[in-house]
Amino acid sequence: MTEHEMTHSAPHAHDHHDDSAVVFGRKLPMPIYTAVYIALAIMTITEVLLFELPRGGLTIPAMIIIAIIKAGLVVWFYMHLNKDSRLFAIILLVPTVLVIVCTLFLMLVPVGY
Amino acid sequence: MSELSIQNVESTHPVAAAEEAHDDHGHMSHEAQHNNMKLAFWLYLASEVVIFATMIATFIVFRLNNAEVVKAVHEEVSVILVTINTFILLSSSWAMVMGLREIQRDNPRGLVRWIGLTALLGAVFVGLQYVEYQELAHIGIALYNQGNIFDGFGMRFYAPTAFHGAHVIVGVLWALYVMRQGQRGAYSSKNYTGVEVFGLYWHFVDVVWIILFTMLYLV
Repeated sequence: MTEHEMTHSAPHAHDHHDDSAVVFGRKLPMPIYTAVYIALAIMTITEVLLFELPRGGLTIPAMIIIAIIKAGLVVWFYMHLNKDSRLFAIILLVPTVLVIVCTLFLMLVPVGY
Repeated sequence: MSELSIQNVESTHPVAAAEEAHDDHGHMSHEAQHNNMKLAFWLYLASEVVIFATMIATFIVFRLNNAEVVKAVHEEVSVILVTINTFILLSSSWAMVMGLREIQRDNPRGLVRWIGLTALLGAVFVGLQYVEYQELAHIGIALYNQGNIFDGFGMRFYAPTAFHGAHVIVGVLWALYVMRQGQRGAYSSKNYTGVEVFGLYWHFVDVVWIILFTMLYLV
């Protein structure tokens, strides 16, 4: 970080004061960041419980979906994609989608090919 | 990159915003500098996405083709330690964003406290990862196994987790730097880009761990 960077003003100083969480129309007595943290903790516990329980056909998809939701919560709220430019979201999504497509292709390659 | 393309979603008309992006002398406005720095950092994070995703994809393909190896590892290794470590990293991300919240409220002391907690939790994470590596080595999971039940697992596991650990170490050092700058009064409610960019890095490291935890340890 340069001196130049440290001396300029940030644009959103005015709109961060009311950061309380609203869930299903009800205002929670905590900042949105804390509500997200609690959600992340609950989902992590759920994942570990799924790991410890006997596996069914939906266990792995469920764990992957939970992980994607957790990652999405962090990106959306902690990395402020909910407030920032859509361009940032596109910058993140393009390589992610590209790698997922490449991985799906690799999964189709027969073993030992 | 035009200022037009990196306006916030709530911003005013893009043409007006572009005109406001430069003062009478043609200098970029503070908001434009702030957005440009964030754009640059998001582009850097995109490159990191490719690196980490390649490693994760490598593991997924290995996992699909060698399910019995991964099953053997799951039977040998407890997830208690790594679950604790996951909570530590999630907590550090929460501390990071609370620190940002404090400086947005013009409270540099609050910023220093929360970022200090972030650095501490990051350091604990790295320490526990070292303990975990020792346990794995004790079981016999090495970087290069050949001829035993863990054949091929070590490299696919250690590469992404160690690379991630290196990112945490860099993040801890960066957190200490942000703390130092905070103590010197470099940040305020009108000037917190340095904190926000560090936050992007730290949260990205957290996101990567969320995926690694699920794909490498649980699935």
